[in-house]
Amino acid sequence: MPKMTFIERDGTRREVDAPLGLSVLEIAHRHDVDIEGACEGSLACSTCHVVVDPGWFRKLAEPTEDEEDMLDLAFGLTETSRLGCQIVITEALDGLVVRLPAGTRNLLNE
Amino acid sequence: MTGSDQPPRPNRPVYLDNQATTRCDPRVLSAMLPWFTEHYGNPHSVEHVMGTEAEAAVEDARGHVAALIGADAKELVFTSGATESNNIAIKGAARHALRTGNERRRIITVATEHKCVLESVADLAGEGFEPVFLPVRADGLLEPDVLRAALAVPTLLVSIMAVNNEIGVVQDIPALAAMGKQAGALFHTDIAQAVGKIPLDLTGWKVDLASISGHKVYGPKGVGALYVRRRPRVRLAPLFSGGGQERGLRSGTLPAPLIVGLGEACRLASSEMAEEAKRLTALRDRLLDRMRDRISGIQVNGSEQARIPGNLNLTFPAATAADLMARVPDLCVSTGSACSSATIEPSYVLRAIGLTDEAAARTLRIGMGRFTSAADVDYAVAALAAAHAGAPVADIERLAQA
Repeated sequence: MPKMTFIERDGTRREVDAPLGLSVLEIAHRHDVDIEGACEGSLACSTCHVVVDPGWFRKLAEPTEDEEDMLDLAFGLTETSRLGCQIVITEALDGLVVRLPAGTRNLLNE
Repeated sequence: MTGSDQPPRPNRPVYLDNQATTRCDPRVLSAMLPWFTEHYGNPHSVEHVMGTEAEAAVEDARGHVAALIGADAKELVFTSGATESNNIAIKGAARHALRTGNERRRIITVATEHKCVLESVADLAGEGFEPVFLPVRADGLLEPDVLRAALAVPTLLVSIMAVNNEIGVVQDIPALAAMGKQAGALFHTDIAQAVGKIPLDLTGWKVDLASISGHKVYGPKGVGALYVRRRPRVRLAPLFSGGGQERGLRSGTLPAPLIVGLGEACRLASSEMAEEAKRLTALRDRLLDRMRDRISGIQVNGSEQARIPGNLNLTFPAATAADLMARVPDLCVSTGSACSSATIEPSYVLRAIGLTDEAAARTLRIGMGRFTSAADVDYAVAALAAAHAGAPVADIERLAQA
């Protein structure tokens, strides 16, 4: 089974199983990694914002306009920011590394 | 010769300063008025009909602006004008890059840009960026090799205006933008003087950011727009904190009447620009031919080929601009850009193309527009020629000594 690594806010690296076809958000929830995902992956928030390791960023499928629109609202955006709900694990992503950003912004709570 | 050679005084001032501002087209005013009076809803009040009708009008206007400049409506953010747009584009791009860990610091612009671009770029030096101000050739155009050399250092942003506000020259934005893109830089262009004057295709030209003004295109003052490319996504740090209107880039209630006016001005320009350019070219040639017949040695500043139809920047052989203007009070022309004419300093644009301060003091900007008639042009020629013939030579001698 493919693996992926989350780098948590305190710098801890957690390598976890990453079943094919699951999103990074779903994998995080399975392993109690602290990613919110307030809209449950319906592209209505930016709370599953992750910072992808630059080496892996180029291997991801291009973000859609809707994902870009949500990233416009993300806090602590970086050049390799993506939404965890939109990254779906494939064989090519075995070993993927993502970092949790410093903070999130949940418009649903505002 | 004296003032007796002056043509008869016109009933109203003859306005030939259309690069400073343009008359709001009466059709634009008609479109705006209902949004001041009966339709006064806040376009962000989407829970009721007064709000949603204002919102629909704003979105219609956004479409008209986008169509004129070759953009998608979603790529436009409304602002208070080109000065604000230039500030958001330049400072916003730089600060966003800094926040997201981009290591590029160089920001390239050109010596003849509008003050608000030069000052925005210069201000960023205080935030750790490296401003670079490129010279232009004697014809006012940027030599592409000069930009290429500056891009040898990794560059964050290039900002080059499409049309100069004083000398009217048209930079080759598609070619310059391509060079910037190839070097991995963002490309911003101030198109305030180009919108409605020359065809624009921002999507095709691969421009990332562009600044638009309402009152230079027969729309109202106090409104403008910023084009922000969506594919690939260009992101900016906003200047204003607030309610997050305009995709978070420009908080503040949108002025629906002004935006409707900007939209109508752009709609009119889309349908009339080609014809208007022909008419203005004929008027410009008429003015220049007749001026050259009456005043030998008069000189046109800036490229005669790469320029918008409605602008002439002329250096007179034997009279100061201040004297000429004092002798022809019914003619509205200017010595430089409107913003710089508050200062007595010679135009930095004219200096940048190699004019001496003394020659710059003999220079007038003449801007023809949609409401300029052949009679206006003929009056300007007759009045300026008479004033020039009667100008005290002592002035010139005094200037030369200064």
